[in-house]
Amino acid sequence: MKKINTKKSLENQTREEYNLSVHNGGRLFTWIALGLIVLLPILYCISAQVLPDWGKLVASIPFLLGYIAIGLIEAVSYAPLLGTGGQYMSFITGNIGNLKLPCALNAQNVAKVKQGSEEQEIITTIAIGICSIVTTIIILIGLIPLALFQTKIVEILNPISPYVIPAIFGGLTIILAAKYVKIAAIPFAACILICIIGNLLGKGSLFSQSNMVIVGMAISGISTTILYKKGYLDKKPKKDAEILGEEKVVKPTIKDELNDEADNIKNDDIL
Amino acid sequence: MPKSFISIYILGGIIAACIICMSIYFIIKAIRRAKVIGMDMGKVKETIKNSAIFAIVPSIPIVIGIGIMMQYLGLAVPWIRLTVIGALQYELIAMDQVGITTAAVLNETIIATAVIVMTLSILAGPIFNAIFYKKYQGKLADLQKKNGKKMDTITGALLGGLLSGMLSAILVGGIFTIGSPTIGAGGVQVFGEITLITLGASVLLMGICGLILVLGKQKWIESYALPITILGSLGIAYAFIPLFA
Repeated sequence: MKKINTKKSLENQTREEYNLSVHNGGRLFTWIALGLIVLLPILYCISAQVLPDWGKLVASIPFLLGYIAIGLIEAVSYAPLLGTGGQYMSFITGNIGNLKLPCALNAQNVAKVKQGSEEQEIITTIAIGICSIVTTIIILIGLIPLALFQTKIVEILNPISPYVIPAIFGGLTIILAAKYVKIAAIPFAACILICIIGNLLGKGSLFSQSNMVIVGMAISGISTTILYKKGYLDKKPKKDAEILGEEKVVKPTIKDELNDEADNIKNDDIL
Repeated sequence: MPKSFISIYILGGIIAACIICMSIYFIIKAIRRAKVIGMDMGKVKETIKNSAIFAIVPSIPIVIGIGIMMQYLGLAVPWIRLTVIGALQYELIAMDQVGITTAAVLNETIIATAVIVMTLSILAGPIFNAIFYKKYQGKLADLQKKNGKKMDTITGALLGGLLSGMLSAILVGGIFTIGSPTIGAGGVQVFGEITLITLGASVLLMGICGLILVLGKQKWIESYALPITILGSLGIAYAFIPLFA
């Protein structure tokens, strides 16, 4: 079995080794965060010297199972979008769909990084890290007026909060539309149809933004797989794609070849 | 407002410090790696700048969320819950599983029960990361290596799905609530008209930023386009609220 040395100096680390060291750090911080999160109800019960209402806790089990399922679906589906470091940070700090992911996508767009590249991973990690720090600080600062003025500040700012998501996603769609129009056309049409039917049936609240994200991802996964298998996502005509096999042959640049060569040498060192 | 215990504030401080330390750890690690692979450090600086600017406006509703939840849970508990993993729309539903918003008497037993439900409901994601993510990400990395195009397609599909789901819910939800506002998180009235105006303004402002970038050759605007768009469209929304309220 191939052994990876994570203690190698940073300069000599391959992408695989770097990634592994990110996992080690991420797992450590996740366990610490989990411990602190679980400590909250325990500490509250000790401080207030109360026990929870067990009957109500048991009654909320079906709800908890639903939320656990959503949590798992989100962790699996957001992973390819957030990168390794970003995934660990996002699932500790939360607010993924409405803050962390748009921030990362914006940073990737501005930095013009190639999808799947190490540059993309680095930019995403930095964007989510900065975003987490800024949010934590803003929340800390926000506690002061909340403690002083209590609900008065909420009364002033609350009317605007439902419109933050449309404000983010309108602009973000324009940025990403050209890139994903082929992939997004079918799920978008399907989601519109589902939402219309849901609203006509008077069940509009079931088709909320957070629920529709999961529905959209599921439909998109199915439709994109079909488009991919049929070769509709290739720039080349389908016939060419069939001749060349599943993979589109892209002539590597000299820089790519040199990078691959360097990676091969480093991988040989590991072996 | 229910009482907040000093011990909970101390825990909140530890959690906030832990999150900042974790973020700094990952940022430093990524910057060092960027240097090793010879990445343009200008891109890194630009990312730091535009991410910091971007994060400001969407963070404000989180503070408002604390304000909404503090009426039922005190100040310290919502602070912690919205600093780690929580998101307002999830947290409100979770805390109300024990009927906290409609309780005749708001005592510490009901708050403790709500806090337990809120905590248990958000553990799945981080537990998945701590135990399974490394293996899962290894599989994703293998796929990226073996068939980069397939992996890019999967990523594109997820992103396309996310945008489709989000936009369809905003658009259809907006259209169906024209003339009949709904009650959103924290009891705020949500007007379909303003939702659509905000979405339209955001699209329009981004389009204008794009024109300034391309036609005016103002490259600086690229970094600020999304923050400008968010702030501008929220300003427009704020101006329209008195017309409908």
